[in-house]
Amino acid sequence: MIINRVTLLGHKDHGKSTLIGSMLITTRSVSEERIAEAKSQSKKLGRKFEPGFILDSFSEERKGGLTIDTSRAQVKYRDSAFEFIDVPGHEELIKNMISGASYAKFALLIVSANKDEGIRPQTKRHIYLSRMLGIDKLIVAVNKMDTVGYSKDRFERIRKELSEFLEKIGVESRSVHFVPISAYGSENLSKKSPNMHWYKGKPLLELMREMAKKKAGDSSDGNMRVILQGSMPHEQDSLLIGSVASGTIKVGGKIKVLPINFNSKVAALFVKGVKKKTANVSENVAIKLARQVTGDSKGSVVYDAAFKGAKNTRNIGALVFIVKKIKGQVRIKFNGIELSGKVSINKLIDTTTGFEIGPRSAQQLNAAIVDIKLDRDIPAEPFTSSRELGRFVIYQGDKFSGIGIINSVGKR
Amino acid sequence: MIKQDINELEERSIFVIREAKSKFKNVAALWSMGKDSTTMLAIARKAFLGKVPFPVIHIDNGIDFPETYKFREDLARKWKLDLMVVDSEVKPDLSGAACCGANKSIALKKVMEKYGFDALIVSIRRDEHGIRAKERYVSPRDRNFKWNYKNQPAEMWNDYSSSLDSKGHVRIHPLLDFNEIDIWQYIKKNKVPINPLYFSRNGLRYRSLGCTHCTTAIKSGARNVDDIIKELETTGIEERSGRDQDKEKEYVMQKLRALGYM
Repeated sequence: MIINRVTLLGHKDHGKSTLIGSMLITTRSVSEERIAEAKSQSKKLGRKFEPGFILDSFSEERKGGLTIDTSRAQVKYRDSAFEFIDVPGHEELIKNMISGASYAKFALLIVSANKDEGIRPQTKRHIYLSRMLGIDKLIVAVNKMDTVGYSKDRFERIRKELSEFLEKIGVESRSVHFVPISAYGSENLSKKSPNMHWYKGKPLLELMREMAKKKAGDSSDGNMRVILQGSMPHEQDSLLIGSVASGTIKVGGKIKVLPINFNSKVAALFVKGVKKKTANVSENVAIKLARQVTGDSKGSVVYDAAFKGAKNTRNIGALVFIVKKIKGQVRIKFNGIELSGKVSINKLIDTTTGFEIGPRSAQQLNAAIVDIKLDRDIPAEPFTSSRELGRFVIYQGDKFSGIGIINSVGKR
Repeated sequence: MIKQDINELEERSIFVIREAKSKFKNVAALWSMGKDSTTMLAIARKAFLGKVPFPVIHIDNGIDFPETYKFREDLARKWKLDLMVVDSEVKPDLSGAACCGANKSIALKKVMEKYGFDALIVSIRRDEHGIRAKERYVSPRDRNFKWNYKNQPAEMWNDYSSSLDSKGHVRIHPLLDFNEIDIWQYIKKNKVPINPLYFSRNGLRYRSLGCTHCTTAIKSGARNVDDIIKELETTGIEERSGRDQDKEKEYVMQKLRALGYM
């Protein structure tokens, strides 16, 4: 069964863990034993049972009522299966959110309808970031409807405000589904709630099922790219090992390896230990070339020799989501290797509005259009051509500072 | 229990094992002769064309089952494993968590130091225990083996980078995404040799294997891999229900892991 990975976004206390807990219980995706254990734990702590306890395994989480790190839960509903990556709600833990979100097929945003909660700046930042990470499908669950008397008005107000923001950052709001729920009371999860007759759409799990059935858009242009992890000895040879990021590699094909500028021909291919004529996307491969590459090939890329889009560059233009202030010399993690680069910021963007802001504004949790000059050549490409070769992570010193997607390569 | 696509799971595991091998200088793996770590070795053999290219360590407290020792010798010979058996104490006054925590972790620390291993492949799975769900594919431990779960590295886009404490090491978790039933699907499809204790004799079998002191058998008529898969499709009982260490006190697994237990 194919598991659809879903990233869960939203401000702390808006009910992410409660929702996953309720889904696990409603769909019977978790054992009776685990439910009983969570119930007895909450009793011991002197608290009312909370479905989120099924997920929150650390003692501090149960006591403090918030989620510390990405954790995982699998929900089976009718003919679909989902894996939730529960991401924490506070700002300093945004790196954990990125770890979870970078694997997701679609995003589920939770916003509390409660009058004291509602849409927070952080909610918008999460949406901005997940869009940047390439997650273009979104469901918005407006939670805690039971605390606002199941008010249609309150739901519509939240829908309107978020739709305006989504349009601003380039998401067609018609493609986003909004659903009113109560995670605590399992309302509008698998069945329509009698308390919200005014809602004409489908319950949340049905919407997710539809989302799962939609085909994912092809994330690359289809050209062959094999990202190398290194080499391994085999009999008398040294084989290159790596994974096929896009396209198909074929025995007999003429290839070039960048950034080391090495040309050869594919002599043999092995997939899972077996000799093959071809290897396809997402397969791990071992490659024997007609002549052997010498030296370190980690982070190199194998291309079709005729492919014009493959070239080395030291200059990249990118959109960066900034987690911690960046300035001057930074470390860039690209494609499993590490480089050093000098960053210059051209423009800052407020991630809660999508508008440009002044150069002296706070960088943290906002975005920037930057130029980066690297200390050596890499085969970078625009994110729109290749997701794998069009993204990177920034560290300032040893601090995780942001992520970037590449808009342009080469000197401008 | 959800059956996942084992082809996809296998590709991810191969990637993680190869990444560990190419990124770290001195890799070793833990092998308990259980179904998970044996499956990991089967995947490593595919990743490296028939050879497991790192030493496999058995932390041996001398009280594993006789079947387990025989299985170890047979498979080590058949797969030409570079097997390292490391003796660990059993203190008579300790049991369950204290026993595994104090004894096996101490023995592991010694062998890591002696051989200077900087990466250790451990075949844990997220669905085993809530705490293990929090793990990463590559997870740093400091020199005292502590797991700082509040400050884990960002791990995204196949970039399992982590800055190492100079005397620490990383744990590599290639089977993190497998569910228990996926392990059995994998064993079936690939005919992975398996410890006979998992199969029912006289109405009892082991679902999760520890040593003779803290593992109890479950009632089951599952005599082969197909029976086990069928059993898991319908069971409502947690996998580690036969393991004492998980049940003693709340959060005991959290404490064990933070202290360096596998």
